Amino acid sequence: MAIDKSLLTGSTTMLILKLLEDTDMYGYQMIEELNRKSKNVFALKAGTLYPLLHTLEQKELVTSYEKTAGNARVRKYYSITKKGRNYLLAKKEEWKAYTSAVNAVLGGATFASA
Amino acid sequence: MHQPDKITGYLETVRQQIRWKRAQPIVLEEIENHILDQKNAYQKEGLDEEAATDKAITEMGDPVLVGEQLDHAHRPKPDWTLLALTGLMLLLGFAVQFFIDSTFDGAWTLEQQMVWAGIAVSVMLAAYFADFTVVGKYPRIVFFTLCAITVVCCFFTGTVLGRASYAIYPLLLFSTAFAGLVYSMRNKGYGGLIFCGAAFVAPAFLSMLVPSSGILFLLCISCLILLTAAVLKGWFNVRKRSALFILYIPTAVVLSMSFFFMLMGAGYRAEWLRVVFNPSLDPQGIGYMGTTVQRILSHSQFIGSGMPMDYYMVAVDASNILGARILPAINTDYLLTYLIYRFGWIALLGIIALFAAFIIRAAMLCNKQKSVLGFLTSTAIVSTFAVQLILYIASNLGFMLLSPLSLPLISYGKMALVTNMFLIGLLLSVFRTGTLVRDQAESVAVKSNHFIHYDNGRIIIDLIRPKTTE
Repeated sequence: MAIDKSLLTGSTTMLILKLLEDTDMYGYQMIEELNRKSKNVFALKAGTLYPLLHTLEQKELVTSYEKTAGNARVRKYYSITKKGRNYLLAKKEEWKAYTSAVNAVLGGATFASA
Repeated sequence: MHQPDKITGYLETVRQQIRWKRAQPIVLEEIENHILDQKNAYQKEGLDEEAATDKAITEMGDPVLVGEQLDHAHRPKPDWTLLALTGLMLLLGFAVQFFIDSTFDGAWTLEQQMVWAGIAVSVMLAAYFADFTVVGKYPRIVFFTLCAITVVCCFFTGTVLGRASYAIYPLLLFSTAFAGLVYSMRNKGYGGLIFCGAAFVAPAFLSMLVPSSGILFLLCISCLILLTAAVLKGWFNVRKRSALFILYIPTAVVLSMSFFFMLMGAGYRAEWLRVVFNPSLDPQGIGYMGTTVQRILSHSQFIGSGMPMDYYMVAVDASNILGARILPAINTDYLLTYLIYRFGWIALLGIIALFAAFIIRAAMLCNKQKSVLGFLTSTAIVSTFAVQLILYIASNLGFMLLSPLSLPLISYGKMALVTNMFLIGLLLSVFRTGTLVRDQAESVAVKSNHFIHYDNGRIIIDLIRPKTTE
């Protein structure tokens, strides 16, 4: 299986799409959620997140809508599209192939579960 | 440094990196919200306001870098497919006029068409770079201005065969103005819907004043599509089924009544209507055009020149049909009939394919519009375009119920060309900037306490706020 060269930068995309898989979120929420889920390993800078989200929106992998929050602040929610789900699926496969290859080189299955 | 000023300074640096001005407010608002959220969270954790602000800004990252990345993500995107198709139609128009000029000595239309195409292209570009949201911000002004222009055209530009034909061009813009009016009726309930219906009486009346059944039909269809779409999108905030009832029952009643009375009544109109459906009833009189068109078409082939025919003692074939003058206004009103006879039915199929490509592509982009304003405006324009095409094809096939308008961008007509190009410019402007247009919420939220606030439908970023010095 061919591995996308931009795998590492692409992995951020994968993480974002994964977050949106179950529920729509706004940017701040995504960063919080990513922090929590990765136990503070992925501290995604907001300055990186928004350009990425806007690019994903233009590629139609996510779509956005606005909702007024309680304090009259308008929040921009992002929602994954069908195209985004397919893309996420492909990315996951790619990622699995990549990690299992790395694990194989590093020394067997023990690494995978370590 | 005052706390909000730090955030302002940060946002200003980000803003300077984003070259596309129209993208700035929407992007900055999101970034600002994020910083405020982050700051609140830090304050809840126990930091004081200053520390929380500083930390929130640091978390955001280098403003220049962030701005550059946002700039990269937000570039205006012209729709090259539609631009190319527009160019193709213009060129096809030139080619056809050139062909007519070169086969018929008395013709001089190519030169005129080219001069006016030049004007039309500049008008299109102006519309393309203009802000189409004006339609939604000042719907009543736009609507009444258009009414006024039409009235002036009706009475002061002269008539051709009893028809104030210059008034047709402002009328072609009416459904776009109507889109703005519908847009302004958000959550106005049945009253809003009825208001739109009442407003429609103005262009309908003006169409009858021209008089042009073609433009009346076009506006009916186009505005019905707009109202239906708005109802289905829940724009009026009413029960969809009853709203559609309110919309379609009176429309159907009015249309069928007028048709019925024309058909059943005595005199000229009833006679005319019967001949429309069967031109051979009066081949020398009312049915002349219909009969002639049908006769020409019956001698046309699928590919290649039509067969010679005898027309009231004149031998007509593809080479002399223009000179024989059996069809008046070939390069304006009966271009397709001529092209079918000259080149075969394949010419019609080719032109339909070209227009279908344009209309389908545009309809797809319409559907993708996130803002209702963008959706309604583009739908109005696409339907105006599509109905013109249908009317033109119908009359060119010999069905003369409605007066044809123009074959957009192809048939000869100076103002028709300019008007249609203006509409295309506006359409492309919707598709170019539509992603950045947001429908206004009912409440005018977020005011004055922020340096980004709404005012009269615009998002104002006021970085140099006057200090309250009293």
